[in-house]
Amino acid sequence: VIIQEVKKNPGSKSARRQAMSARKVETDVLVIGGGGAGFRAAIAARDAGAEVTLISKGPLARCGATPMAGADFTLDGLSLSKLGFPGAPDDTFEKAFNDIVTQGYYLNNQKLVEQYLTAAPDRLKELIGWGLNITFSEERAIFTSGIGIMDTLLSRARASGVTLMADTMILDLLTENGQVTGAFGLDVQSGEYIHFKIKAVVMATGGWHKAFWPNTGMRDLSGEGIAMAHRAGADIGNMEFITFCCNVLLEPPMWLGSIATYVISLLAGGTLTNRNGEEFLNEYDPLMVQIGTGMEWNKSFVSYVTMKEVNAGKGGPQGGIFYGRGDVPWDDFEKAATMLIPKWKYKAMDLRPLGEKFKAGESIEVGSAVEYFDGGIRVNQRFETNVAGLYAAGECTLGPFGANRVFSAITEMLVHGEAAGKNAGAWAVKSSGPDPKEATLKFHEDQIETLRNRMSGLRIPEVRRKVQEAAHRALGPIRNPSDLASFVKLLDNVKADELPNLSVSDDSRSYNKEIIDAIELENMMTLLEAAAKSALFRTESRGVHYREDFPDCDNDNWLKETILKRTKDGFAIETEGIQPVHKSLPSGKMPYLDMMKTMMTSRSDIGGHH
Amino acid sequence: MNPKTAKIKVFRFNPKKDGSPRLQDYDVPLTEGMSAMDALDYIYQNLDGTLAYYDHAGCSLGICARCNGRINGKPGLFCQTPITADTILEPLSKDKVIKDLVFKRGKDQAE
Repeated sequence: VIIQEVKKNPGSKSARRQAMSARKVETDVLVIGGGGAGFRAAIAARDAGAEVTLISKGPLARCGATPMAGADFTLDGLSLSKLGFPGAPDDTFEKAFNDIVTQGYYLNNQKLVEQYLTAAPDRLKELIGWGLNITFSEERAIFTSGIGIMDTLLSRARASGVTLMADTMILDLLTENGQVTGAFGLDVQSGEYIHFKIKAVVMATGGWHKAFWPNTGMRDLSGEGIAMAHRAGADIGNMEFITFCCNVLLEPPMWLGSIATYVISLLAGGTLTNRNGEEFLNEYDPLMVQIGTGMEWNKSFVSYVTMKEVNAGKGGPQGGIFYGRGDVPWDDFEKAATMLIPKWKYKAMDLRPLGEKFKAGESIEVGSAVEYFDGGIRVNQRFETNVAGLYAAGECTLGPFGANRVFSAITEMLVHGEAAGKNAGAWAVKSSGPDPKEATLKFHEDQIETLRNRMSGLRIPEVRRKVQEAAHRALGPIRNPSDLASFVKLLDNVKADELPNLSVSDDSRSYNKEIIDAIELENMMTLLEAAAKSALFRTESRGVHYREDFPDCDNDNWLKETILKRTKDGFAIETEGIQPVHKSLPSGKMPYLDMMKTMMTSRSDIGGHH
Repeated sequence: MNPKTAKIKVFRFNPKKDGSPRLQDYDVPLTEGMSAMDALDYIYQNLDGTLAYYDHAGCSLGICARCNGRINGKPGLFCQTPITADTILEPLSKDKVIKDLVFKRGKDQAE
């Protein structure tokens, strides 16, 4: 890595523009994203012989979604038993493949499902070898902590000689003739610009939870990776498939968005009621309720029925429903709940008051909030995009899960990360490209400088909140065309009238939150527009995409991915049919819940939560 | 009826511009179960966009520990410290301030 100071434009016209410096960094592989996918990719690229720099938007090993995860690593039960866990010796690749594809309503990229299942045992084995602590296991999963995974990967990345940059954002990629040449970055703390000369990129920026309010994600997950990859020409797809987690805490403000109650409900059971105290799950098929509350199927099933209640005017003051322990005896409930939340504490979060509420038989308001993105950057089985030198891994990809994810995203990030990093590293060590164009870097700098000097206009946090709340309403578990169309209109208006007039209150370079927020907002708007237009385009209901006006799952016309091709000033929507590899595709139309039940009951006879 | 408010005094200092630090007062409406982080979010979003606190990354749920600071002089996480009355919010290390509540940490910011 070469670092040098370059003074730019010492005599420029505006005083504020003076003394602007850009740091220069040269590396073979730039890994963008400091979660599990990014770290695993960085280690693999380094092992392939490349110089690797990993960009972490926030603190090392403490940003992205991974540290927040419970966390479960899923794989087929036979492989798990071969690794020395009880697992499920009667499980097979075929059974696990069947289950991922039926959980995904057949919209899965079957080659990526194959890659997921094939690579998973090796990724788990190596993590254990690197010292990962495992809490407990079941048929198809081990449970650990996201922080444990991150700490394991961090020490491995350090030992491998990966260069780590914390509190750094990449704002755009530079390409020439369809090939990555560089990246434009910002040191968040100092406000200094960073010019990267690179041969390959692994994009691993995770989801874009921050585009919604409320949400369950870290404050850094604003989707700039998917947006900048798309600006660089990469196809993105299935953006309409957005998983809402059910039973997320909506009160008090200090715990807003925590999935603690979701985890508790999964382990300990309990009861959901509406504002009238009615147990509304009784209205649904008992088998669906059993499967759809006892496994991670609940994310789609319970979120859907929660929104039914809320839309019928039976929700609580925070727009949710109520969760309590119901008939479960307190001792049993507490024992199960504290398996992952020992003594009702999780890190610095003290949930004892919540435990007291449950003990007293009281309920707390919970609801559905955005949690996982099934779509993203389109990749092939080598995790290449259609831009040479640009790879992608983890949640920011259009991954293996189709229309609905039940198997673990922790496994996804690791199997993707390793393969993407290895391939990017191998590509980078034998490739050579031109230098990134100074004029392009200057163009990006000027855009930020223009904003930094706009001291009157609209306040960024207000525009952002308006967009986030509208996104939560329009792109939730139940969608209708008029809300989606109004949302697209709102985005158009904000883009035309408000984004150009965003202003900052302070022209300081040091930790200028408003500048960061403005950059994030523009990226979030790009992805929201992609999701809303894709949701309007997909005239059927499948997985986590339910349309009130098209309530059937249409296997005759919609077993295809929604692909967005970059154009000069936006995108064009195309489709790509699903190619069966190990499992043939169904035909015909079926009402949404019937299809869900069919998919649930297609599950093989292996126990556990996946 | 006016909602109950609290006076939140926040440490303000930009070493590149200011001669010395100061405490700035903000009136923040109190809601039940709000944290110091919720108060900072309220100030930044509604009262003063110049305020810097570690917000561009972090979990707000007591896991990443990146919002550590001093609440009425005591070290703690802003995101998991309840606010019920007038409160002083300061950075953990006043001599390493980058801006306001954001301060320089150890090598490459790792735990």
